[in-house]
Amino acid sequence: MNENILESRDFHYKYPDGTHALKGISLQVKRGQTTAVLGGNGAGKSTLFLSFNGILKPSGGMIFFDGRQLDYSHKGLLVLRSRVGIVFQDPDSQLFSASVVQDVSFGVMNMKLPEQQVREKVAAAMTRTGITHLKDKPTHCLSFGQKKRVAIAGVLAMEPDVLILDEPTAGLDPLGVSEIMKLLKQTQQTLGITVIIATHDIDMVPLYCDHAYVMHEGEMIMAGTPKEIFARKDVLRKVNLRLPRIGHLMEILEDKDDFHFNEQATTIKEARKVLKAWRTDRQ
Amino acid sequence: MISIDKYAYMSKLKRADPMPKLLFTLLTLGVCLWANSIAVALLVLLLMGGLTVCRGGTPFAVFFRLMLIPFSFLMIGVITIAINISADREIFLFSLSVFETNLGVTQIGIDSAARLFFKALGAVSCLYFLSLSTPLVDLMLALRRLKVPALFLELMGLVYRFIFVLLETADIMVIAQHSRLGYAGLAAGYRSLGTLAATLFIRSYKRGEALYTALEARGYSGELNVLEERFSTSWTAYLLLVGLNVIIILGTLFFRDQAGGLLF
Repeated sequence: MNENILESRDFHYKYPDGTHALKGISLQVKRGQTTAVLGGNGAGKSTLFLSFNGILKPSGGMIFFDGRQLDYSHKGLLVLRSRVGIVFQDPDSQLFSASVVQDVSFGVMNMKLPEQQVREKVAAAMTRTGITHLKDKPTHCLSFGQKKRVAIAGVLAMEPDVLILDEPTAGLDPLGVSEIMKLLKQTQQTLGITVIIATHDIDMVPLYCDHAYVMHEGEMIMAGTPKEIFARKDVLRKVNLRLPRIGHLMEILEDKDDFHFNEQATTIKEARKVLKAWRTDRQ
Repeated sequence: MISIDKYAYMSKLKRADPMPKLLFTLLTLGVCLWANSIAVALLVLLLMGGLTVCRGGTPFAVFFRLMLIPFSFLMIGVITIAINISADREIFLFSLSVFETNLGVTQIGIDSAARLFFKALGAVSCLYFLSLSTPLVDLMLALRRLKVPALFLELMGLVYRFIFVLLETADIMVIAQHSRLGYAGLAAGYRSLGTLAATLFIRSYKRGEALYTALEARGYSGELNVLEERFSTSWTAYLLLVGLNVIIILGTLFFRDQAGGLLF
């Protein structure tokens, strides 16, 4: 078994209109981890994701899934798409059926499994995402958050190895955000899948992600653990991103208010630890 | 249309197998049209209305309001049939002479107008029974079992789904235009409406592309295969629906023979 489930080497992508969207992206996504891909609007995150699923074909460089280069034959693509699932940002452009069950079943049906098995997988995905009670409701009567869950269920039902989510928390209320993220974390732990998230929601990254990449104008400019990424705050700010709010607060406390911390903190938990340490040091 | 969809989902008959519902509707519709009789049409109207309201739980007021929609069209259509033109004044019950000819109402005219009026109401009630008890998704299931081409059904499903998305988008855009005084005057109104139409077209096109990408990501290869809901079908439903229609047909034939007249 390969340690990197997805890998790209010097991957380029040019759109037919000549836009050079990705300029030599090299990254390794570790099996079973949650990886964040950060970047401002138009950084190329969506293009990158569509390539991992075989929808866009590299103009240069290579992409590997589970150690093997992507196979763009009809059969190869079907296998790849059942192993790598994408949840799109706008659930309204992903949900095609007026029936929740039918929409969730679409991907599994394409895997040509026996009907009984399809039913079981659909039911399991709906339970996991907490949408069983929406079974008989038409898609157009659901709220945005509910639609988002249905969209996730539609991909989870295929039981992919890699779950890619484009802005999973965009447009959700604070409770919705934490519910979706908990749902993803739980799913990842029980099913052992790899999760890749594109996001602007910086505060979420230190809480839920093991690894992060930062993209800017089609290039990968930083990679590392969230701690390593947030330690280089000038680079982050240069590409229209920022520190998590807590991280920013700690920075201001150090720069302007004469606090001295022995460690960097980007979450509430870390900040408490660091502040307590600071207090004991003073006493 | 959207409220019909809402009531279909709320109907207690939603849980019933769509196949007998569809066959019942089509068969009764056929019988109503065949019989061309006021009594049968009234019976069908009563039957369909009764089923929708009593068994389906759709409020009577809703059913009544929906029945009023075809009413105005029907009135206009029926009047043109009832009124005839002829040079012979004798055939009319009452008439007006206009220039060289006469405009009036004949017994036969009234007769066929009344038949048409009730026949149309009966037929419409059949269709309301179906649409108020069967969401489109279930109806498509029945049509699939009747071997309607998959391409047609897939298009039907996508159109249905995206009508709601389109309406929602249009709604938001109209509100946004209103809030910037887009409809303050006649000229501004036309301009805003034009932009709305153009933008909606572009949005729809983009949405279509995004949908295709999303479907592809889940392994789409030309067919929208989905899990079909299971309904417990009992043969009694089919027996009942066929039996009922046979009784109506036999009854019509019997009374037409015995009584005749305007009703049959």
